[in-house]
Amino acid sequence: MKTGELALSLRLRSVSYDGRVALRDIALDVARGEIVGIAGHVGAGKSTLALVAAGLLGRSMPATIDGTIEHPLGGRPPAAFVFANPSTQLTELGETVEEEVAVGPENQALPSEEIRARVDGALALADATWLALRLPRELSGGELQRVALASALALDAPLLVLDEPTAQLDPGAAAEFASAIRSLCDKGAAVLIVEQNLELLAALADRVIVLADGAVLATGAPYDVLGRVPPLDARLGSLRAGYSRPRGRRTRAVDAEPVLRVESLSAGYGEHVVLDGLSLTVNAGEVVAWIGRNGAGKSTLARTIMGLVPTRAGHIGVGVTDVTSLPVHERARVAGLVFQDPRRQLFSRTVLEEATFGPRTLGASRASALAQAREALLVVGLGGRESEHPGDLAPQLQRRLAIASALASRPLFLMLDEPTAGQDAEGRSFIRAALEMQRSRGAAAVITHDLKFAQDVCDHNVTITHGHVSHIGTISLEIDFSGR
Amino acid sequence: MTSALDRWNPLTPLAAAIALVLVAFAGPQPWTPAAVLALSLAIALASGIGGKVTVLTLLVVVPTFALLVLLDAAFPEPAAETRWIPSRSGTLDALAISLRLGAAIAALGVIVVGVAPRRLTRALAARGLPAWAAYLVIASLEAVPDARRRAEDVLDAQRCRGVAVGKGTGVRGRLRALPALAGPLIVGLVIESEERALALDARAFDARGKRTALAPIADPVGEIWARRVIWLALAAAITWRLWEFAHSLVIAQVSRS
Repeated sequence: MKTGELALSLRLRSVSYDGRVALRDIALDVARGEIVGIAGHVGAGKSTLALVAAGLLGRSMPATIDGTIEHPLGGRPPAAFVFANPSTQLTELGETVEEEVAVGPENQALPSEEIRARVDGALALADATWLALRLPRELSGGELQRVALASALALDAPLLVLDEPTAQLDPGAAAEFASAIRSLCDKGAAVLIVEQNLELLAALADRVIVLADGAVLATGAPYDVLGRVPPLDARLGSLRAGYSRPRGRRTRAVDAEPVLRVESLSAGYGEHVVLDGLSLTVNAGEVVAWIGRNGAGKSTLARTIMGLVPTRAGHIGVGVTDVTSLPVHERARVAGLVFQDPRRQLFSRTVLEEATFGPRTLGASRASALAQAREALLVVGLGGRESEHPGDLAPQLQRRLAIASALASRPLFLMLDEPTAGQDAEGRSFIRAALEMQRSRGAAAVITHDLKFAQDVCDHNVTITHGHVSHIGTISLEIDFSGR
Repeated sequence: MTSALDRWNPLTPLAAAIALVLVAFAGPQPWTPAAVLALSLAIALASGIGGKVTVLTLLVVVPTFALLVLLDAAFPEPAAETRWIPSRSGTLDALAISLRLGAAIAALGVIVVGVAPRRLTRALAARGLPAWAAYLVIASLEAVPDARRRAEDVLDAQRCRGVAVGKGTGVRGRLRALPALAGPLIVGLVIESEERALALDARAFDARGKRTALAPIADPVGEIWARRVIWLALAAAITWRLWEFAHSLVIAQVSRS
């Protein structure tokens, strides 16, 4: 492949949805061998720009585009796309992971041998060969993200457009992903990447474009643009300010009463044992990070504590209550869990109603529920948006609304599953505030691959490997997860 | 699920099932459908899916038979003297109809239960089935399990917010929980259909275009000939039945004149 040839040339006067302008005055070229990063606050228009660049907007998704989109290198399709939510990538045309990855080359009507080569190559590049024969619907978020990436790579398109491709990957996988993208680029691919992880973007991109409110705020070399102090846009943050640790490292609250006690816990799905004799405690006033490789059992631990996965052996205590044999709705009085996908729970007509639902269901009076909900909404930065429809919020704000809903119920122990995925600096600071509030009321656990956030907010980490605790300690950005 | 039928090209059991259904309806009654029913259940048992196919068949046949007998008893022939007692002829008719239906359900049930939808559509696509039709078949077959999975996700999320469901929850409690469960489910399904269109578009899906396969379904010569024999035998059986029918019309015409 020759590098330097243009793979994308965009000249946009405006892009709008139902008359609402999402992007304006954008000129963007991406050449072969080049990685262009797109940064910006939540709602800046990053995903819209990515969809336009891939040629998807205006076809399956209605929008009005005033301008030109050219893919000079052609291709069917001219661009491969990785969605921010990896489950969006699934077509369901394939039963196993390798069949799902094969859907693109099959649609390109390639011979079987070439499809096999593409599938094997893409799975290897995405570090997902070990998932080849698994069923996509049974994968964890991080595993699904690898499959989504492999599905896009299998198309072998001249342009690769990635929308938050590492949000759910563990640090090791994110580093491998970055090196895979760089090697693809060296072979002549053109890459456009939207990423909230500014450090990853700075390390990976050749140049960066910062969007603000639908327009280009700045463009240039990554460290020149993202490293400015004060930052170009406070909502986005900057490399240095966004990742500094404002306080001294906390030590474990060993004298405090335990809020969560998990003893010799075993749980799983069918014959598949996920948690194998796991024991841990979280003390009052602590916020801990539960970390580990994709599929290590972190989310299953949270689901088992809530009673969504049956306990096969062991005990779970929250505060003074042994919840091991309690039904889920009874456990909800003392523990809360916010899932990765907030769309599972939002149903009310307004943001305020949504936030009052939990406390009302658990028996709080209307007045108390309203007060608790307003307080929680304020903490997550949704104060003043109480009358909006939850469905109209950006996905990142929906996630913060889900956190507010859980916070408003005032559980003793709160678990957040990948809360910072897709959040900008402003969103991360709001989630941090929510966790500080929870710290004052009990304790919290954050299931995350975002080690910088964990280092900034959490007291210590609990590393989970193959369903048991393999390490408890201070959070380092160099954590090396043991192999799968 | 996998079954012994996975050893075959899905078109072969499909051809056999279609032939059996037509034979059950066209052949002499009630012995032909009874034989087809027995043969289909035997194939299902041999393929390791006997239980599911039998249950599926019984779920259709038993209520149908009961309903037909009930109708016969409730609305007897004008000449009959008793009401609410099934007649012998009515019961035999009900049995014949139920057997035909049972034979069809059992024969097609072997395909529905024993052949993976994606293998079947892949085999049909190799025979020229358009991509849109293949997708429609898979989407239809997956619609119910998809909705069920999504419903379970919503249920889990709302239970974590204190919503009580299941045993011990009164009617009032269930009604109160309904919006919290139905809202995200319906919105989620609508969003998912939009996302699916986007996902297909992003993966070069062209409804009118030709698709190839990662692992094409093998179609051995023996199976190709087996299908030819099935179609020939079916054509012969139908021709024979039509000839019989025409012959009976001629006989009737002659006897009238």
